[in-house]
Amino acid sequence: MTTTLSPQELENDPSKRMPLVLGGKDFHGVTEAVAGIVERKMPVPWALGFLLALSVLGIFGASLGDLIGIGIGEWGNNQPVGWAWDITGFVFWIGIGHAGTLISAILFLFRQKWRTSINRAAEAMTIFAVLAALQFPLFHTGRPWFAAYWLLPIPNQMNIWPNFRSPLLWDVFAVSTYGTVSILFWFVGLVPDLATLRDRSKTRLGQIIYGIFALGWRGSHRHWVNYERAYLMLAGLSTPLVLSVHTIVSFDFAVSILPGWHTTIFPPYFVAGAIFSGFAMVMTLMIVARKAYGLEHLLTMRHLENMNKIILATGTLVGYAYGMEFFIAWYSGNDYESYVFFVSRATGPYAWAYWTMISCNVLFPQLFWFKKLRTSIPVMFVISIIVNIGMWFERFVIIATSLHRDFLPSSWGYMTPRLIDITFFLGTFGLFFTLFMLFVRFLPMIAIGEVKAVLPAADPHNHGHDSSGQGGKHHAHA
Amino acid sequence: MKRAPYTFGTDQTGKQYWRSLDELAETPEFKAAVEREFPDGAAELIDPVSRRSFLNLMGSSAALAGLAACRRPEEKILPYAHQPESMIPGNPDHYATVVPFLGTAVGLIVESHAGRPTKIEGNPLHPESLGAANIYIQASVLDMYDVDRSTSPQEAGKPSTWAKALETLTARGAALKGKQGAGLAILTEAHRSPTLQKALNDLTAQLPGAKVYRYEPHHRDSVREGARLAFGKVLDPVLALDKASVVVSLDSDFLQTEYSPLKNARGFAARRKLAKPGDTLSRLYSAESRYSITGANADHRLRIKSSEVGAFAFALARQLATAHGVALPADVVSALDGFKGTQFETKKKWVAAVAKDLANAEDGALLVAGWNQPASVHAVVNLINQALGAVGTTVSFVKPFDESAEGPASLAALTESITKKEVDTLVILGGNPVFSAPADVGFAAALQSVPFSAHLSLFHDETCSKVTWHLNRTHFLEEWSDARSEDGTAAIVQPLIAPLFAGRTDAEVVRALLGDTRKAYELVRATWAEGQGLAAENVWRKALHQGVIAGTTSVAEVVAVAAPDLAKAISGLPKSDGFEVTFAPDSHALDGRFANNGWLQEMPDPMSKITWDNAAQISPSTATKLGVRDGDLLSIKTQKGGTVKVAVAVQPGQADESVALTFGQGRSVVGRVGVGVGFDTYPLRSSAEHGIATGAQVQKVEGRHQLARTQEHHVMEGRPIVLETDLKGFTAQPDFAQKRAPNPPASLTVLPDWKYEGHKWGMVIDLNSCIGCNACMVACQSENNIPLVGREGVIRSREMHWIRVDRYYADMADDPATVFQPLPCMQCENAPCETVCPVAATTHSPEGLNDMAYNRCVGTRYCANNCPYKVRRFNYFNYAKDFSAIKKGAQIGTFFKEDLPEIRKMQFNPDVTVRSRGVMEKCTYCTQRITEVKLANKRDGKPGIKDGEIRTACQQTCPTEAIHFGDLNDPKSDVSIHAQQPRDYSLLAELNTRPRTTYLAKVRNPNAELETA
Repeated sequence: MTTTLSPQELENDPSKRMPLVLGGKDFHGVTEAVAGIVERKMPVPWALGFLLALSVLGIFGASLGDLIGIGIGEWGNNQPVGWAWDITGFVFWIGIGHAGTLISAILFLFRQKWRTSINRAAEAMTIFAVLAALQFPLFHTGRPWFAAYWLLPIPNQMNIWPNFRSPLLWDVFAVSTYGTVSILFWFVGLVPDLATLRDRSKTRLGQIIYGIFALGWRGSHRHWVNYERAYLMLAGLSTPLVLSVHTIVSFDFAVSILPGWHTTIFPPYFVAGAIFSGFAMVMTLMIVARKAYGLEHLLTMRHLENMNKIILATGTLVGYAYGMEFFIAWYSGNDYESYVFFVSRATGPYAWAYWTMISCNVLFPQLFWFKKLRTSIPVMFVISIIVNIGMWFERFVIIATSLHRDFLPSSWGYMTPRLIDITFFLGTFGLFFTLFMLFVRFLPMIAIGEVKAVLPAADPHNHGHDSSGQGGKHHAHA
Repeated sequence: MKRAPYTFGTDQTGKQYWRSLDELAETPEFKAAVEREFPDGAAELIDPVSRRSFLNLMGSSAALAGLAACRRPEEKILPYAHQPESMIPGNPDHYATVVPFLGTAVGLIVESHAGRPTKIEGNPLHPESLGAANIYIQASVLDMYDVDRSTSPQEAGKPSTWAKALETLTARGAALKGKQGAGLAILTEAHRSPTLQKALNDLTAQLPGAKVYRYEPHHRDSVREGARLAFGKVLDPVLALDKASVVVSLDSDFLQTEYSPLKNARGFAARRKLAKPGDTLSRLYSAESRYSITGANADHRLRIKSSEVGAFAFALARQLATAHGVALPADVVSALDGFKGTQFETKKKWVAAVAKDLANAEDGALLVAGWNQPASVHAVVNLINQALGAVGTTVSFVKPFDESAEGPASLAALTESITKKEVDTLVILGGNPVFSAPADVGFAAALQSVPFSAHLSLFHDETCSKVTWHLNRTHFLEEWSDARSEDGTAAIVQPLIAPLFAGRTDAEVVRALLGDTRKAYELVRATWAEGQGLAAENVWRKALHQGVIAGTTSVAEVVAVAAPDLAKAISGLPKSDGFEVTFAPDSHALDGRFANNGWLQEMPDPMSKITWDNAAQISPSTATKLGVRDGDLLSIKTQKGGTVKVAVAVQPGQADESVALTFGQGRSVVGRVGVGVGFDTYPLRSSAEHGIATGAQVQKVEGRHQLARTQEHHVMEGRPIVLETDLKGFTAQPDFAQKRAPNPPASLTVLPDWKYEGHKWGMVIDLNSCIGCNACMVACQSENNIPLVGREGVIRSREMHWIRVDRYYADMADDPATVFQPLPCMQCENAPCETVCPVAATTHSPEGLNDMAYNRCVGTRYCANNCPYKVRRFNYFNYAKDFSAIKKGAQIGTFFKEDLPEIRKMQFNPDVTVRSRGVMEKCTYCTQRITEVKLANKRDGKPGIKDGEIRTACQQTCPTEAIHFGDLNDPKSDVSIHAQQPRDYSLLAELNTRPRTTYLAKVRNPNAELETA
């Protein structure tokens, strides 16, 4: 096996990049490391974690029952704050979902090889986040039993169609498209690895189930060629979605006439914020997973540092957007607009939320300018959580502070959350983590085939090794 | 079915189904047979009423129309506007009736659906209503369907029957006959019913020893005493504000709770209409402590303690007498010398300016003193009015319906008589004296010592629990009675429905004491038959039909100054000393009688916007001095009363060192709606200081109490929302409002405007007329089945009112000016709500309405978020069907649901959908009324719709006619004419929503001499 550069060596010679896989793994070693997780007996910490996630999911179920049984009044929403924790939660989860597609598709197209270790988990995270996000727009409606299908353009004898002018309808299309493509993309990527698991499975049940989903994958050249094409096409399809989904989500606000919502900067601002929060979430999850499953050699410091740089960049973009909102409010000369920013947000009843957002999203990520902090696991773990708290507050600030004081002072109000607001939002974490725990237990959380392709052994110019990337892939399910 | 118009004086002997059966029923055999088959009371609803049994009764009553035992009233009642041959299912009937209210009586038209009265409106023919009704009267329909109503008589707290009760009463009356009635006392409210009066007269004739007392917690004793001091006889003033160009209100809330508020409002507004430059406005000055809506509508308001208003009035009188040659008796003028204005050094300018304005008033000056003011103030006001020539024009005097005292003195006399063991039989007809008696009288304790006491009342209340017999009373919509209004106009109270719980009327109970078993109908007929000219059937029918008995208006008394005692009374004016506490009827519960009325409890106070509560209003400066803020608790002790803890509401405009309290809340024995609402302030009211208590001790105590307000922010933040100017500014620039809030150019869009080929509905609201009384809100609530959200719901800002009245102060300092703005849906041409609804549940109608399809709504609330006027309301809970919703809100996950009582559902307007949970709702310009007229005209072959044929509920009831509605396509329609006025402007015009509802900007008429004051 080839030796790898230690971080010290790397510092001595910056022209060399840190390799993407450490610890001298060969092809088989990678397979063992990843597939082994699925094949080992159920680890006790996983079981405990799963139980915890399941109990939080139980809280979600109870809150949902309460909400459907009694009414939206169980939340704190009111007049004028018609949307509060519900849509905040929706945008929060949709935002988190962005990192997955970004890592999978855009970084793939840009040949950013470092993505291979994290893309599978990030894609899974995307799908689960979209599922968590969907709970909000559906159950925040007054009559979800109708909303579930009246929002879809289903032909009916009354000839009533949804209102195509409504941004909420655009949302329905945008999010469902995004969810569908994300699932397809994730699944196509999984097929070779499912075949590996099928082949290695020692139980009949495993063979059958993995076998069904492996779609008869045998790893032939033809398979690989088709696979690579499909993957490339899906990556191409997904790329615009990264931009479109959050752009359309931002239209929910930008298209309205409410000061604080009615802003043209929203689409890029929301996309930057989504990537920002998505990467922070991937970071939180990956730090825990690599530690728990000993994947430090596959998820190296280089991965983490790269993600931190993206967090720094998007955090600064978001900070710029915050500043620009104030500038435009002043520059437009619109009194209602100025009031929202200079009074409501900066000094109004919700000022605490605004300043929480600013410190979490703008100030803390700036620490990543320092390499020492950017490569410190505890620091990045804490900041990744802070960023997600800050991004939740960003959506809350946009939604609640704009609504609570709009045009006519007579109808101004304040929204205080009630218990069910909190348990419902918390409960969606239960949904997310339950699915994520099942994912890490039963599916390869790292793309085995792709990682093998970036092994030094897969490099045709690699000294002392003659196997190629293709060869590596032939080995993938050995 | 074609409906033939009913004509009076037609031959009544023709073949008539109802009539012949009635006549048939006159034969004794038939009568007996009917009674056997349908015993009296067999049709009564026994609580809990089920809809099924109600419908059964309805069905049988239709089959047996004309006979007894039906839910429709047994006697003939006559529909007002239409005369259906018989009830047409689905078509409402309208009947005229009248309701006694605060010392007057207001004529009404009540809408009835299938025998159920659903909505109360004013009777345009009645001088006291002129088509309008106030919040209390309109909401009283809910009281009739109150599930907490008393359903049967009770003896010592145990349910009994009317048969037993009547037997007991008759036996009691027979026993009293032996003693010439000695020991019998009757306590009535300040009733105005000739039939009851006649019954009482007959009673005192037959039982000369019997005594009759009157008590009303909000009374006009000092008004009458003021007339006696000035003119030597007890008289009631009748105001004519439409004739006054300068009005001075001395601590009087004549637009809401004093004198004849509806008529006053109409008269006041008549002088505030402004069509073009050059039109004149009246000028209103107000000197008061509590910020009333009368003060809010004044051009100049002097913020002084109520106990200083007398001194101010005297200073004003002296100024008029000395500087303007107003002739007052010499001894009075010398008594007034004590009020040279020493106490009013700072207000000298005020006294001078107001006096000058009054003396120079071009066509009619008027001074009005508040009911809380002492008699001497009223007397001086009367003298000034007389000297200024106002008597006969802006004010006239009539004989009171009943001259006896109706304030604390009367109740004190009764209590004294009880404690002297002079009373062994006490019959209380209505009212709730145990709750509302002055604190120092000790009525409750005395009542329990009476061997036989009976209380006739609609509800189980504080008084019921202290009497030996509780008798359930009829609601005024269920009874035959009559009432005279302030100016003497009499009208018949005719029932819209037979008594739901077999209640009896006051007159029937009095008659029962005499062993007279006649029904209320016969009693009323008898009252009006003898020498009153209503004996003839057609005259009687006409009186019922019109809701007014022609020729009953009192003749104005000729008055001459006869004031021998006035000088002494002036010198005896109580000193204003330390903290004062003033008492006014509550804006929700009135004097306590509406405490269980959800509509009224949720109706925001016009000024403070507090719901489901009452509070101690103090000025911001006083609050700072006492170290309290909104929601802190104050302990208040009056010199002659007790101590009470009340929550603080900081009220800009309140006089310093003055605490404004309302009485009527804080009932201890009350139905489920009123439980735990507000603070009982009656313990502070003593008989000597019934209206104003001086020298009170006020201090902060531990604890807080959150007040549920519908408006939390009270200033406009400099935004062009309510636009106003003064008369000078208007003359200089009549279209100032359009200049300040210009409409965006039509060229903003390249698309052509929608052509409204049929109708194009629109509304104009005149902010110069609106007095902020909330009548429109209750009208809307009862017309459109608007649910209640309860106190918690209001705290959570989830109130459902489709039209609200916004109230803005100029600032939050001690003495701000105030403006009101009623806000229904603007029905925008470019409605922001319509584009964002994902399911197209809210769309634009071809007549310009912003329609709402409840069935289609899934409740995303996006429309409400995007509505800049925030007029959309969301059903966060199942408010319409869940009775517990009004109490819920605090607890999470209350799965227990209390179904709306069946009886409550009878009030619902069947023309309007009852909305379910999770649905957005909003003002529709009463689309059901539009449709009704359109369909009727189409059916009857009438071309088009005449202007004024369709009236929205808010427009119909508005006492000041501030709301104009109609077809904007018709250039001659009332609404088009008003929309063309230069004052017309669109709210938030710059958003280019192009509202259908526009406003006429407010114009004040300040006195130049006071402008810099």
